[in-house]
Amino acid sequence: MKWRLVFLLALVLPDLPLDPFHGGLAASLWHPLGVDDLGRDALLRLLLAGARSVGFASACALLALGLALLLAWRGRRWRGALSALRSLPPVLFLLPLAAALGGIGIAALLLLLGLLLAPHLEPPLRVKLDTIRRSPAWAAERTLGATPASTLRRWGPWALDQAAVLFPSAWLGALWGEATLSTLGLGPGPSHDSLGRLLLEQLPRLATDPSPLGWGALVVVLGLAWSASKPPAEKRTALSRG
Amino acid sequence: MRLRAWGTVAQGAAVWALALALAWSLPGALWRPVPPPPFPVHALLPAVLALGALALAAPLLAWLGGPDLATRRPLALLEAPPDLLWAGVLLACWPAAWGPPGQGGWLVAFLAAALPGEVRWLSAALPGEVPFPAAWGSEVVRRARRLALARLVSRWLAARLPIWLTASLVLERMLGVPGLGMDWMERVAGRDRAGLAAWVAALALLWLLSRSLEVEAVA
Repeated sequence: MKWRLVFLLALVLPDLPLDPFHGGLAASLWHPLGVDDLGRDALLRLLLAGARSVGFASACALLALGLALLLAWRGRRWRGALSALRSLPPVLFLLPLAAALGGIGIAALLLLLGLLLAPHLEPPLRVKLDTIRRSPAWAAERTLGATPASTLRRWGPWALDQAAVLFPSAWLGALWGEATLSTLGLGPGPSHDSLGRLLLEQLPRLATDPSPLGWGALVVVLGLAWSASKPPAEKRTALSRG
Repeated sequence: MRLRAWGTVAQGAAVWALALALAWSLPGALWRPVPPPPFPVHALLPAVLALGALALAAPLLAWLGGPDLATRRPLALLEAPPDLLWAGVLLACWPAAWGPPGQGGWLVAFLAAALPGEVRWLSAALPGEVPFPAAWGSEVVRRARRLALARLVSRWLAARLPIWLTASLVLERMLGVPGLGMDWMERVAGRDRAGLAAWVAALALLWLLSRSLEVEAVA
């Protein structure tokens, strides 16, 4: 979880300069993945787009997990509304919104994806929190007159650990959500380069006009999928013991 | 208890009513009004076939693999790439001499994108088998899995149907195959508010029908 949070810094990096008179160059020593049609170094573009997408997904996952934790803790009475929100397909909800607003900016998309992901993360967190709420330790604390502040101090780190286990799935949801909207042409504008935009540009060309940038984008996406599919540490230990 | 169930239905109905109101009040207008697109009846059969293949293959694989399948990394890795990546890989590997991928390619990409996630969903929901029924032999284990899956399948279908619709939209767009997902998008682009409201009403009906299954799962 922690290494992905480093990429939050990439959200404030400047854009790459355009040099359209030197576009479309093949791979060379100075440009290992070549240069795109607008004269931007493809490797640099891939790194910047990847870092920005990872930073966006990390910020979105943090927001969604925070909200999900709050809903799991206090949202019991809103179970019906949360169930209906889980039945709303996020992309189908975002499409009319993007069409109505003429596209969704990066900050608004972060907020919306966070809000739409939170109801999906709430049930597994609620199951874990309910186990603790029914335990003798919890009942003993209530009997001894624990205040909300002391409860938060005692159980907060544990709840954060439980939320951290769900971070990879929230992160992937945000990453692919942004990529999907960009693929449908409804994500942030062309000024915001991301993995979604790269996939949109390069994937259809792979069969007929493959470029190193296209293959590079594919490798980065598969690498991210590989890193997010790693089981949590305690599970690996249990499996290795078994 | 009954009062609480009605309360949750009322909350959900309020959310769906809000979605319906948003669909009706979608802002913007076309420069030149066009009639709403006809419902793609021809896309119903491929969609039913795809859902049928998924509804058969996923429980079958979960039955064969059992709950251990949920913690297997290869399956998690197959599940992680999004549907748009599967469509891209299909486009990259599809021989140009065969022409566009069409419905067959769409079905392959849809199953590749949806099957790993659905198998994991079902496997994770299966009860543990150690020490029992594993100690009673493989025949009992298979029977226990079959009974558990028989209870799970309807709830699974109701919970995942909207998600498949989303996956279908991306694949249709990338592979150029008109279908149910594209119908939604065309209605958004054409500002067909009545058509969008009908879609929302259909999703709300699906949610309402799946309520009894969810109440059973909570109990």
